[in-house]
Amino acid sequence: MSLERKDEYDHGAWLAEKDLSIIEKTYLMTLIWLDKRLRIVDYLELLEDMYYKINLQMPKSHTEQYNLDNKFWYWYPLYALGSFSVIAYIVAAVSGALLGFYYAPSTAGETPEAYEAIVAIMKDLNFGFMLRSIHRWSAQVMTAAVFLHMLRVYFTGAYKEPREINWIIGVILLSLTMLFGYTGYLLPWNQLAFWAGQIGVEMSLAVPIVGEWTAQLLFGGFSLGQPTLIRMYILHVFVLPFVVTALIALHIGIVWMQGIAEPH
Amino acid sequence: MSDSDTNEPRTDGSGPGIVAPDDEVPTWRERKERTTGLSRLTYEYFERARREDQDLRQESSYVERDVLGFPAWPHETIRNLALASFFTGMLLFLAAMLPPHLGDPANPAETPSVILPDWYLYWSFGLLHLDPINPELAIVGGEKIMSDELYGVLANVVTVGAIAIVPFLNKGSARRPVEEPFWAAVGVGGVVFAFTMSILPIQDMFPWAVAITFDLAFFLPLVAAAITYAVLKTMREGYMYDLNRRYYRLRPPK
Ligand code: HEM
Repeated sequence: MSLERKDEYDHGAWLAEKDLSIIEKTYLMTLIWLDKRLRIVDYLELLEDMYYKINLQMPKSHTEQYNLDNKFWYWYPLYALGSFSVIAYIVAAVSGALLGFYYAPSTAGETPEAYEAIVAIMKDLNFGFMLRSIHRWSAQVMTAAVFLHMLRVYFTGAYKEPREINWIIGVILLSLTMLFGYTGYLLPWNQLAFWAGQIGVEMSLAVPIVGEWTAQLLFGGFSLGQPTLIRMYILHVFVLPFVVTALIALHIGIVWMQGIAEPH
Repeated sequence: MSDSDTNEPRTDGSGPGIVAPDDEVPTWRERKERTTGLSRLTYEYFERARREDQDLRQESSYVERDVLGFPAWPHETIRNLALASFFTGMLLFLAAMLPPHLGDPANPAETPSVILPDWYLYWSFGLLHLDPINPELAIVGGEKIMSDELYGVLANVVTVGAIAIVPFLNKGSARRPVEEPFWAAVGVGGVVFAFTMSILPIQDMFPWAVAITFDLAFFLPLVAAAITYAVLKTMREGYMYDLNRRYYRLRPPK
């Protein structure tokens, strides 16, 4: 008695009765092998659907639909500002990961070690100057793009029903983007960083009841030092990346579901 | 070689635990109908919504679900990707042309003459400089109710909160600024306000009295808003006529 069941789905027998070339056979065997493990057939349907969406005739664009003579092409860059934010975010993430290899969040030493690390990146590291430049500029550009994206959403009324949730997610994303910039601004531990951090501590201390607690949590005390820098570092390279990436995915997922608000 | 021949316990997960469904087994729907409490409510609502959708679809005048927006795929996405790749090139070019600056290392003993955050926080920094309008209460003997710092922090919270509730204040199906001159004016005023607030931290640097800068910071946004309102009101008639002719004839606004 064999363990192998013999039934109409005996793919081996099916393969044998077909007269296949070696290429076809290898392909099918691989497919069957993978399908047994990963249930590819279920996903194939999705792929097929995508294939047809791409290859069949394009649906009419809104300008064709409303017979607008493609009058509005010069507005398109405004509608791409959200995508610009995403792209700038990706560039910042990649360059930031590379910068992270050479940075140390430490205030130790006569000249703070973090500052020394930035100097070393700019002076000694091959391509390091450009790398820091790319990271700085992508961050600046992302923030600018996010602000402008918000303005375009506002002035085209795209936040109205049913898109309120996305507007609120957007406000949170805007705040987090600025927090991203702020924590990154503190990392080189230069004069600008230190005194910007000082303002942050004073702001949190001004709040009654939770202020001191906030200062302890975010800045590691009431005056700036090593605990501040390490907190900013963790926020900048660990906490915010996860939160912001997840929120962007949600934001764009909702846009994908709801469609872009008309009219253009 | 079958398992039932031996009395050893089977650890492969097979056995009588899983029973093939027969006619007695409740369907998914029946299970749902039997639920109670919140899940019952959810089920009932979903059923109602589905029925509503179906009825709408079967109405003779009904063509398609009301269009909420243009699909993100393919036109929008492809166009955005094309523009964004060009934009990435511009970004790298910018990075190559304008290198970043690195000032002196941190020195707690020496306060620099100008303390500034990055540019995108200027407006927020400006809101921390509102102490001249921090109200004083006569009851408390002219004392300020809260510290100037707290007032600044609250100003930030209020600003972000105001932006967040916009969708709940401005409703309706109007989209273009000409359709709603008031809200366009609010927007323009807000943008100008962000700029004038950014000026506040350096208000001492102008060759005129500080009070003038401070007053201008609130006056200019109002002026900008008023101009926007006037211009849009003037443009409105002709523009709406054009819109009606080209656009709303095909998709009348609700
Ligand atoms: C990290 C920041 C952000 C990213 C990556 C992002 C990304 C996007 C993208 C790709 C779209 C598709 C349409 C378009 O590109 O215009 C979109 C739409 C939208 N965004 Fe954002 N966004 C961000 C921030 C914001 C902010 C700050 C707001 C508003 C406060 C906002 C509100 C909206 C709304 C309401 C839509 C729907 C607009 C429509 O359907 O026409 N987003 N976002």
